[in-house]
Amino acid sequence: MIPNADTPRIVFPKDLDEACRLQANPRTRGRLIAGGTDLMAQWAAGVPVPERIVSLKNLPELTGIALTPDLVEIGAATTHAAIRDDARLRPLLPALVAASSSVGARQIQATGTLGGNAANASPAGDTAPALLVTGGLVLLASVRGPRTVPLDQFWTGYRQTAAAPDEIIVSFLLPPRGRAKETFRKVGTRAAQAISKIMIATRVLVKKGSIEHAAVAMGSVAATPVRLTALEQWLQGRPLTESLPEEAAAVVRETVHPIDDIRSTADYRRWAAGQLAADALRALL
Amino acid sequence: MKTRRTWKLNGKTVTADIPGIRRLLDVLREDFGLTGAKEGCGEGECGACTVLLDGEPVAACLIPAAQVPDGAALLTIEGVARTRAGRVLQQAYIDAGAVQCGFCIPGMVLSSYALLQRNPRPTERDIRTALSGNLCRCTGYAKIVAAVRLAARRLREEAK
Repeated sequence: MIPNADTPRIVFPKDLDEACRLQANPRTRGRLIAGGTDLMAQWAAGVPVPERIVSLKNLPELTGIALTPDLVEIGAATTHAAIRDDARLRPLLPALVAASSSVGARQIQATGTLGGNAANASPAGDTAPALLVTGGLVLLASVRGPRTVPLDQFWTGYRQTAAAPDEIIVSFLLPPRGRAKETFRKVGTRAAQAISKIMIATRVLVKKGSIEHAAVAMGSVAATPVRLTALEQWLQGRPLTESLPEEAAAVVRETVHPIDDIRSTADYRRWAAGQLAADALRALL
Repeated sequence: MKTRRTWKLNGKTVTADIPGIRRLLDVLREDFGLTGAKEGCGEGECGACTVLLDGEPVAACLIPAAQVPDGAALLTIEGVARTRAGRVLQQAYIDAGAVQCGFCIPGMVLSSYALLQRNPRPTERDIRTALSGNLCRCTGYAKIVAAVRLAARRLREEAK
């Protein structure tokens, strides 16, 4: 049950322009909703329902996946199911496809959106690490005009983003992996439905036996989803040897600062973070 | 303020006047009297409220009914029970002994139905993935998986 579910005014703008105009004025501004899978659960859990809600469901500018040779653009209101089922995406962004395929279960994937997962800004958001390793951008819109924010600057604090109160997430601009390899893995109580204890995405390019480029991102090891820049710099240019994965695990354990919470402990997360990084690198050997 | 929506609900055109963010689950159960979809956890984790929206399982407890667009096709257990595949599934659940308390079963049958529509020859892994959003606290799942395999086989034999 959601207390006072009948009271909010829910508005359905017909396009992005109208949505931006609504959000520009504090009197017409509403809580943005896309799939609603996070918001409805929060409201059911007792978070007060807002007076005004602006629905982004099916705004034409926010839905769909567009491919150019060096960029994949995914609309913010695109569902996890659409990402999971788009065969064109699998070779380009395998970590993101794996992440979207692992959100909740089929029911949640059919409803929840990529933009909603980002806007919810939980450190345990499944798609965030996969987005981060692409080095891509978030496209935001408001009546003041569009702007882009690099993904590694988008999550600014626990449940906080760089989007201003009048801004709407339009899409994600993601460079495909090219010759680099990607991995995604999450650890939770069970594969489906359980909120993750920790997850990792990697994008690593190996050239002539050495690591030319490494992007490693984790969820649930800090207040926001994070790139592991210390590990990335440590990996840069290093030869891919048998001992590298274990050495990398030690670097990870020195540099992540997870917390204890209802799903796991800081000690376990620090240990698992090292193992997950080592496993991802071992897959390259 | 109410949002007026027109849907195909179990094959019939219906109109709903929906206040605020009233949940699809409440609209189905209370306004349309379709009590097959159950409220378990109320937060999208258990799958007891599963219904099919344009053929895909969704958690009706997490969907503001106003967000279900005009023209959408909704199928609940009451509607599935009137289809051939739905009846075969229900009988298979009975024959396999897959039902104990029954609370999760409408959602289980709907997720199974959607699976068999898109994949008539599912592996055990396909079945377990398709049903991973539906929790059952009685059966241990083995008989539910067996029921879906049995239904798939019967439907394939019928199609021959």
